[in-house]
Amino acid sequence: MSTTESTTPGTSPSMVEPNGAALAAFLAAGIGAFAMGLFVLLSEAGIFAAPSLYGPAGGVSGRTTFAVVTWLIAWAVVHRRWRSRHVEPAGVWAATLALVAFALLATFPPVWAIFG
Amino acid sequence: MLHGIALGGGALVALAATLFGLLILKSESDVHGPAARRTWVSSLASISSVLVWLTVIGGTYIVFPPYRATPPEGMADLAAYPRSFLLASSDRAWLHGIAMEMKEHVPWIAAMLATAAAFITSRYRTAVFRESLERRLALTLLGLCVALVATASMLGMLVNKVAPLD
Repeated sequence: MSTTESTTPGTSPSMVEPNGAALAAFLAAGIGAFAMGLFVLLSEAGIFAAPSLYGPAGGVSGRTTFAVVTWLIAWAVVHRRWRSRHVEPAGVWAATLALVAFALLATFPPVWAIFG
Repeated sequence: MLHGIALGGGALVALAATLFGLLILKSESDVHGPAARRTWVSSLASISSVLVWLTVIGGTYIVFPPYRATPPEGMADLAAYPRSFLLASSDRAWLHGIAMEMKEHVPWIAAMLATAAAFITSRYRTAVFRESLERRLALTLLGLCVALVATASMLGMLVNKVAPLD
């Protein structure tokens, strides 16, 4: 996931929009999805249960809120670092798709039996 | 009704329309053509994202609590308590154990992906309509969102068919 500055000789930064902000949003969404899957798995395995933030909804209110906060923090951090840069996309693609794939597996109840 | 059809259904239609709009507006003539169409698709992506968020927040904090309410001790008729009704029969238990458990979490993942798609479509308003990395990112996110929201909607319909929440 190497990055380079967007301003190269003869290229106006206003003409070539750096891809960093797009890849930051993409990766952060993967991190948020991963966090959701991780909080679900940890809860089902009895290792860490996010506290219920709204009693009538139960633990899902805590798990989803924690995942959303993780996503927003990750997005803010990565966006700040990459927004004016060109980022090599291959690694970000692979990492994000792997994070989302993990999340989908982790939120599929039959998988919980492996950890439960 | 509001959660499932108006918001969830609206989100699914809006996401699919955004995906379709991105796909059909790719030709060279469109790239150099009316900017209004591209603005329209970008706006639709943002509307999709808002609809998904309203659906998941409403589902978690308004619809889910009565679904999981615990019936009074010894109550025989569980029709007003969908989770207990489903779990009372081994034939129906999967609708809670798999369908509803997935519905609790998967739509939140879709909401984050939809927001990323809306951001990219809005920020890279021209690039997403020509062959570019940003276009592939937006199409991937929207494709995933459509699949996830469609799956969650289908699971919701199954649960609601057997144990409707009045």
